[in-house]
Amino acid sequence: MGTESISGIETSVPSSIVQFHMLDQLRALARANSLWPMTFGLACCAIEMMSAGAARFDLSRFGAEVFRPSPRQADLMIVAGTVNKKMLEPVKILYDQMTEPKWVIAMGNCAISGGPFKFKGQYNVIEGVDSFLPVDVYVPGCPPRPEALIEGILELEEKITGTRRWPRVKPETAVKG
Amino acid sequence: MTLLAQSQLQETFELNIGPQHPATHGVLRVKVIMDGEYIVKAEPVLGYIHRMHEKMGENRTWNQFWPNLGRLDYLSAIAYNHGYAGLLERAMGIEVPERAEYIRVITVELNRLQSHLLWFGAFILDLGGFTPLMYAFDEREQILDLLESVTGSRLTYCYFRFGGVYNDVDDDFITGTRAFIKRLRPQIPMYHDLVTKNVILMERLVDIGHISADMCRKYGATGPVLRGSGVNFDIRKNEPYSVYPELDFDVPVYHECDSMARYMVRMDEMEQSMRIIEQALDKMPDGPVKAEKAPKILKPPKGDYHFAVEAARGTFSMRTVSDATNTSYRMRLRSPTYSNLSLFEEASRGMLLSDALAFMGSLDLVIPEMDR
Amino acid sequence: MLASEGLPPQKEVVEEVQAAEEGEVDPKAKKKEEEKPRENGLLETDYAKRGFHLDVQVNPDQVVRSAEILDSEGMTMEMVTGVDWLKDGQFEIVYDYSFTGGELFRVVVRCRVDREKPDVPTISEVFGGANWHERETWELFGINFVGHPQLERFLLPDDCDYYPLRKDFKL
Ligand code: SF4
Repeated sequence: MGTESISGIETSVPSSIVQFHMLDQLRALARANSLWPMTFGLACCAIEMMSAGAARFDLSRFGAEVFRPSPRQADLMIVAGTVNKKMLEPVKILYDQMTEPKWVIAMGNCAISGGPFKFKGQYNVIEGVDSFLPVDVYVPGCPPRPEALIEGILELEEKITGTRRWPRVKPETAVKG
Repeated sequence: MTLLAQSQLQETFELNIGPQHPATHGVLRVKVIMDGEYIVKAEPVLGYIHRMHEKMGENRTWNQFWPNLGRLDYLSAIAYNHGYAGLLERAMGIEVPERAEYIRVITVELNRLQSHLLWFGAFILDLGGFTPLMYAFDEREQILDLLESVTGSRLTYCYFRFGGVYNDVDDDFITGTRAFIKRLRPQIPMYHDLVTKNVILMERLVDIGHISADMCRKYGATGPVLRGSGVNFDIRKNEPYSVYPELDFDVPVYHECDSMARYMVRMDEMEQSMRIIEQALDKMPDGPVKAEKAPKILKPPKGDYHFAVEAARGTFSMRTVSDATNTSYRMRLRSPTYSNLSLFEEASRGMLLSDALAFMGSLDLVIPEMDR
Repeated sequence: MLASEGLPPQKEVVEEVQAAEEGEVDPKAKKKEEEKPRENGLLETDYAKRGFHLDVQVNPDQVVRSAEILDSEGMTMEMVTGVDWLKDGQFEIVYDYSFTGGELFRVVVRCRVDREKPDVPTISEVFGGANWHERETWELFGINFVGHPQLERFLLPDDCDYYPLRKDFKL
């Protein structure tokens, strides 16, 4: 029961026949509100990911605190850190092991573009995980603050459900507050 | 291997831990040959986060290399800053103003506290207790706030400069730090009540993971691992740098050589760090925080230079070969956990697998620092 | 703990061996030997300037012996470093030793090998910790540590065929 096929049928079928649109929305809402990220700390950014999940930032306010060490139980891969050539294969395998539906957040400049380790003649770092993974949300920073990661997760929720659940904080108010 | 007769070897099997495994704290992989529940041979495999720091040292100018120091051991990054600053100050003969040295010591020790707190939480998490992590992170966030107010970043600090520090501390930082120490001090006995005397923890740590002092010496293990094996060695005392000689602190040493000893060393070190910070705050003189005559473009005279500091995990030392240009000819970074882990293969022989993971936690590994 | 008493004999031991094996002790100023690869021998260095007390250059075949001497003095091997001296056509291997029993005393042992045939005996028999360091140096420079139990890829992927820290390395 893939979402795509149903929404594809939707346009061509008369409205009287049973539709799953509401059900799909419900499912999307459920998924978005309980993302299970994989504990996938690679480098420095992983510590900020831990901070996001621990006291003070408390990711569980947004239902995404259930960090799973096993890819088979997770549906969100947060690539937090540098991926190098040796790590490339394991990352691919981990992604393949995750069950559908699954999403990817590239956290930190390293995961986005190679970050500070990109220089002419470099021999070991993969310059951006989007070269081999379908990345849904990019969270820039070196490392991104935990708030930024939380915002990234909210962005992902918006991508899944189509609506934003939490008000967007304007930078000006954030500075004052 | 020698322990087992050939016939028994037939019954062993190979187990692969990592590179994605929560107990390895990052992307370490351990190839284990098991005989039932017991380890015959455990061989760590590194390189899953090798980030070419040494190569970058060769093709960036001395000043451009600063950010890398924040990303080696991101948990005690300021100590690494100190190592690099000290190295070039030694090579160039730069005098550092006293206030700057005090600020350095205060921030390094705050950073060490933060690192040990995180280790405490994560280590107990490895052993199955979740609550201490929350306590530890609560305190840790306070430190990060303080450090952020002077350095501008939360984790990957790039705060020191050759001949001083980037930014002076203000009164808010000083009062905030004092208040924080007051807050943290009663927490440590609370941690002991909460965790240390717990029977399960004792069962898993006491007499497990024996490392003798001689093994430490052969493998070059330093830091809490060495001090947990009964050797009173701390670069801050034995090869004094900065203003550490003027401060009064003890080096906790435990002679049991087991995981518990290493645990206790770190817990006691937190108290000592607090003592150092308090004294440094009292003694800190007024004055500039950057050497006035520090050159903008650095060209250290030809030759080798070496500088070592005590980071949270042990001796971090840098060796550079300069050819009197504005880049290094060769930059060698000696990371403490690299040496600390290299004894894992020998020390874990014959251990239960679950004990080995607790033992690995007691070594306090930071993988990106190991792979460099 | 007995550092101050322990140190002087240590120096002498090394010196004796040098004198015996090498027949020369090089007390000349540093200036000279920096132009060319320096002669084998022993230098006392200014700690405040360099960060180590004693700087010894030996032949490759004396590396193990030097490790044994320093081992018997209770010193620790800290790191093994390779340096590529492209213009001299040589690799330099630098061993850092320190004394962790008391007040710190640092000894640097270095040796030079031909770039074409970079063979140097392993000291991993003496110091177990040298195993990883040598393996890493082999991997990044291609310096062959003769007798090393496991010269395999360590930090880099198994299939890579370059030595990235050589000065003439280009991807
Ligand atoms: S983006 Fe920065 S903080 Fe994150 S892993 Fe890379 S270097 Fe570390």
